[in-house]
Amino acid sequence: MADVRPPAPGSVLVSDWHRCKESKEFFNKILHKKMRKNFGLLESPVMPPQVAVDTVHYKIFISGKSGVGKTALAARLAGLSIPNLHYETTGIETSVVYWPVKLKDSGRVLFFRLQLWDCGENALRRFDHLLPSCKEQVDAVLFLFSFTDRTSFDDLSNQIAKWMVPPVSPVVKLVVGTKFDLFMHCDVAERDVKLFQERWRLPLLRVGGEVGDGLGDIAPVLNCLAEQLWHQDCVTAGSAGIHTQETETLL
Amino acid sequence: MMLQDGSTQLLCLTASSGVPLFTRGASRQLPFSVIGSLNGVHMFGGGQGVVLSCCETEGGGKVVWRVFQESVMLIAVSGGGPGGAGSSSKEEEARLQRLLENVWNCMVLVLGQDELANMRNVERIKRDLRSCFSLIDQLLEERHEGFLGNLTHCADSLLPPNPTLVQEAVDGFAQAADSEFGCLLVHGRIAAATEKWWRLAPQEVVLLSVLMRSLSASGSASCDYPVFLPHGSPTVAHRLLRFHLLPGADVCVLCGPTPSLHRAESGLVGRFWSPLVETLRDCLAVGERCLPASISLRPDMLALLLINRETRRSVSCVRAPTNHPLSGPPLLSKARCWELLKLFYSFSMTRYFSQEETLCVSPEERTQKGNTEDFVLGFTHQPLQCYLVTEECKSFGLQTAQHQLFLVTPPSVPTFALRTAATQTLSDIVTATGF
Ligand SMILES: Nc1nc2c(ncn2[C@@H]2O[C@H](COP(=O)(O)OP(=O)(O)OP(=O)(O)O)[C@@H](O)[C@H]2O)c(=O)[nH]1
Ligand SMILES: [Mg+2]
Repeated sequence: MADVRPPAPGSVLVSDWHRCKESKEFFNKILHKKMRKNFGLLESPVMPPQVAVDTVHYKIFISGKSGVGKTALAARLAGLSIPNLHYETTGIETSVVYWPVKLKDSGRVLFFRLQLWDCGENALRRFDHLLPSCKEQVDAVLFLFSFTDRTSFDDLSNQIAKWMVPPVSPVVKLVVGTKFDLFMHCDVAERDVKLFQERWRLPLLRVGGEVGDGLGDIAPVLNCLAEQLWHQDCVTAGSAGIHTQETETLL
Repeated sequence: MMLQDGSTQLLCLTASSGVPLFTRGASRQLPFSVIGSLNGVHMFGGGQGVVLSCCETEGGGKVVWRVFQESVMLIAVSGGGPGGAGSSSKEEEARLQRLLENVWNCMVLVLGQDELANMRNVERIKRDLRSCFSLIDQLLEERHEGFLGNLTHCADSLLPPNPTLVQEAVDGFAQAADSEFGCLLVHGRIAAATEKWWRLAPQEVVLLSVLMRSLSASGSASCDYPVFLPHGSPTVAHRLLRFHLLPGADVCVLCGPTPSLHRAESGLVGRFWSPLVETLRDCLAVGERCLPASISLRPDMLALLLINRETRRSVSCVRAPTNHPLSGPPLLSKARCWELLKLFYSFSMTRYFSQEETLCVSPEERTQKGNTEDFVLGFTHQPLQCYLVTEECKSFGLQTAQHQLFLVTPPSVPTFALRTAATQTLSDIVTATGF
């Protein structure tokens, strides 16, 4: 099946919705004393019954070489403390992010439950069973490169190509450049990033630096991801209908 | 003195040729020449048929050596003990020996014994060893207040107010995950575990708790970690699946190839644990006290450690003193109380009480150790109680066939009352909980 072309930013979801006053009651559910709230697996944000909100679940795999910043990105997005030192992740660790969004067309509010799957690159190499587990029923992949590590950028095309071959079911693909704050050590020119984007036509986001106290620094990544996921679901739902018809005529 | 006071440095070299593999700990690293000499004297001893295991420097520093699997040499160097009541070179030596044993177990847990025992490619092993640094640094930091498992090799436990319910849930959950090994951690302490979990080697139980705590502290929702069991399965990795049920409550199972993390999480976690949310919250409410609220502890007690010698479990707690005397010595901090408890434990164990031998010690070492112990202790009988009075506190230790209890009280408690306090506390807890 052909891959879904990414929708233009802000065409599916209300962008910067976290800044709107009306979103407060939803975002308050993922905050605790101005910090992000940590939910156990048995918990979830609870809205009062009169504003019942659906929650949609997605599995996202974070891919990239060792030290590129996978664990740091997962922690940043989930509002957990970001490790200062690089300790290799020696298995799979998942973290859950709840993120409220508003659909542009219908004005409907949804909670996205994004489960980020982070697996240390060296562990992936040492143990064969980890990658299949990460790929099982995955909805999206974040391809990470570091602005301070040229080889991680050069390897992106290889990484992405691996996810393009059928029979991989369509997955949302996003590219994230980490350590954008370390511009003194930047090893990837803006020109190269442009060329890359023209070739692959994938959304590319930049992260790095101190975590601000608001949601401002993570909102672009989470909104972009949610938007792609929702769009893909709509397209799949549409084409699934066509698909069944085709099978029927064949029979 | 080689290092700053109180800091410990760990060196790892190949046993055969002394190639440095890594060093951890202490901000200022030892110079390469010193590392070389430390390895050299050990090798020299080896050539003379002598096993060099420990030495003390003039400034009170300590060096402890140990070779594992004839392949890896670990050396711990400390710049003098933490000081204070009961600390002396003997306790420090015991601490460093334990540290080396724990570090080795960590290395096996992450990498497996095969890779460590047959080092074909030194550069590769160096790179792979980096994946152990997170756990090793945790062991070196030793600032996990409230956890004594690394020292006692008994599982830090929490006695839940509703043991049957959580036990059933852990058993059922493990079974559904095709596993015989399941364990529920509350505030980092074991609240319930399957019978097979308790049959793992004590060091394994402690080490898995350390791993679980570090994973839990990161705040992640679930994990699938390959782990080798240093004694039970040093060459074949199992999968440790861990699920963050509620903040402070984690459940884990040791599995084979199935079920996948995704399946276990979506299919089993909710089914087994959603009905138990309130029960889990009751367990969480027990808090750092580790004992159900129904057990009242003496008000004049600062710290307590109770060990079940047979099951290799322990409960411990520290209570910051609440009375504020206008004059008199300054109140002890909670951190200091934990430290005093640890020191008194080491004091009693290295001098009077016997430690259930851990499996890691080789037979020769055991006899060697046994001999020195008999010689040093000079007792023809097994001491059952001991106490220690210092300016800071009073401590009392007590051992029965089944239990060991260590108590720390303020100096104001009359010495003659310590024994009664200890026996009473022991019988109160055991009667109420069956621990
Ligand atoms: N300044 C800066 N440092 C970062 C950023 N992202 C990650 N780091 C640092 O880079 C190092 C490695 O990051 P990790 O997230 O642990 O790397 P990883 O991709 O998970 O590596 P493996 O688990 O070994 O596969 C850590 O010291 C992080 O603090 C960033 O955006 N900015
Ligand atoms: Mg990582």
